[in-house]
Amino acid sequence: MEHFIQTIGRNMFAIFGVMALGGAAFMIASRSAVHSVLGFLFAMLCIAGCFLSLEAEFLGMAQILVYAGGIVVLFLFVVMLVEMSKKKEKEVFQLQSRYAVVAVLLGAALFLGVFRKVLFGAASPEALVLRPELAQGLNVAGQNAQAVSRGLFADYLLPFEILSVILLVALVGAVVLAKTERV
Amino acid sequence: MVSLNAVLLISFLLFSIGIIGVLIRRNALVILMCVELMLNAANLNFIAFARHSGSVSGQAFALLVMGFAAAEVAVGLALVVALYRKRDTVQVDDINLLKG
Repeated sequence: MEHFIQTIGRNMFAIFGVMALGGAAFMIASRSAVHSVLGFLFAMLCIAGCFLSLEAEFLGMAQILVYAGGIVVLFLFVVMLVEMSKKKEKEVFQLQSRYAVVAVLLGAALFLGVFRKVLFGAASPEALVLRPELAQGLNVAGQNAQAVSRGLFADYLLPFEILSVILLVALVGAVVLAKTERV
Repeated sequence: MVSLNAVLLISFLLFSIGIIGVLIRRNALVILMCVELMLNAANLNFIAFARHSGSVSGQAFALLVMGFAAAEVAVGLALVVALYRKRDTVQVDDINLLKG
C-alpha cells in the first residue's frame, strides 16, 4: 500500500498531464458550450497541478487564481449572454474538419518521427532530469515566489511594465468594444 | 523525478488538441478556449525548461504569458459579445462578409 502511494507521488506529473489531456479532449468534443467551459476548467486545474509538480508553486497557485477564478467565470458569463440564440447550432464541427484532423495528425506524426531518436532513443544526449544543484536557483530560501519576483522585477522589469500597458489597453479596448451603441 | 521528455510530450499533445479545436470548431467561444489551451501548453514548456536549467527566467516569463492571456481573453470575449449584438450569432461560419 505504501509502495503504491509512493508510486503515485512519483508519477504525479504524468497523472495530472493525462487528466489535462482528457479535459482538453472533452472541451473540443462536447456539443454544448457550457460543457466545453467545464472541460476547460478541468484542464486548467490539472495544468496547475502539473505546475505544482514541476516546483513552480507560485505559478500553480496563480494559474488557479487567474484561470479557474477569473477567465472561466468570464467565459461562463459570456456563454450565458450569447448562447440563448434563437437559431439552433446547425453543426458543431466545420465542414473541413476531416482534413484539419488529418493534417494535424500528420504533423504530429512527422514531429514524432523526426524527434523520436533525439528525445527517446539511445542517442538522447543525457538523462534529461533536473540536477539537484541546479534546483537551488528556483528556490531562494525555500520560497519559490521570492525567486520568481526576483526574476520578474530585477531581470525582466521592462517586459513586465510593457505587459501592464498591454493590460490597460486591453481593458479600455474591451470596454469600448462591448458597450452598447448609444449616440 | 519528472523527465523533461514527459513534460514536452504532454505539452505537445495539449498544443495539438488546441490546434485541432481551433480548426474544427464553429463556436467562437470554444475557439478562444482552444487558444488559451495552446498558451498554457507553451507555459508548461517554459516551466519545464526553467526547472531543467535551474534558472528562474522561464517561470517569470510564464507569469508574463499568463497576464497576456488574460488581456487576450478580455478583448476576445468583448469581440464575441459585440459580434453577437450585431449579427446575432457566434458561429464563425456565419461571419462571411468578406467572402467573395
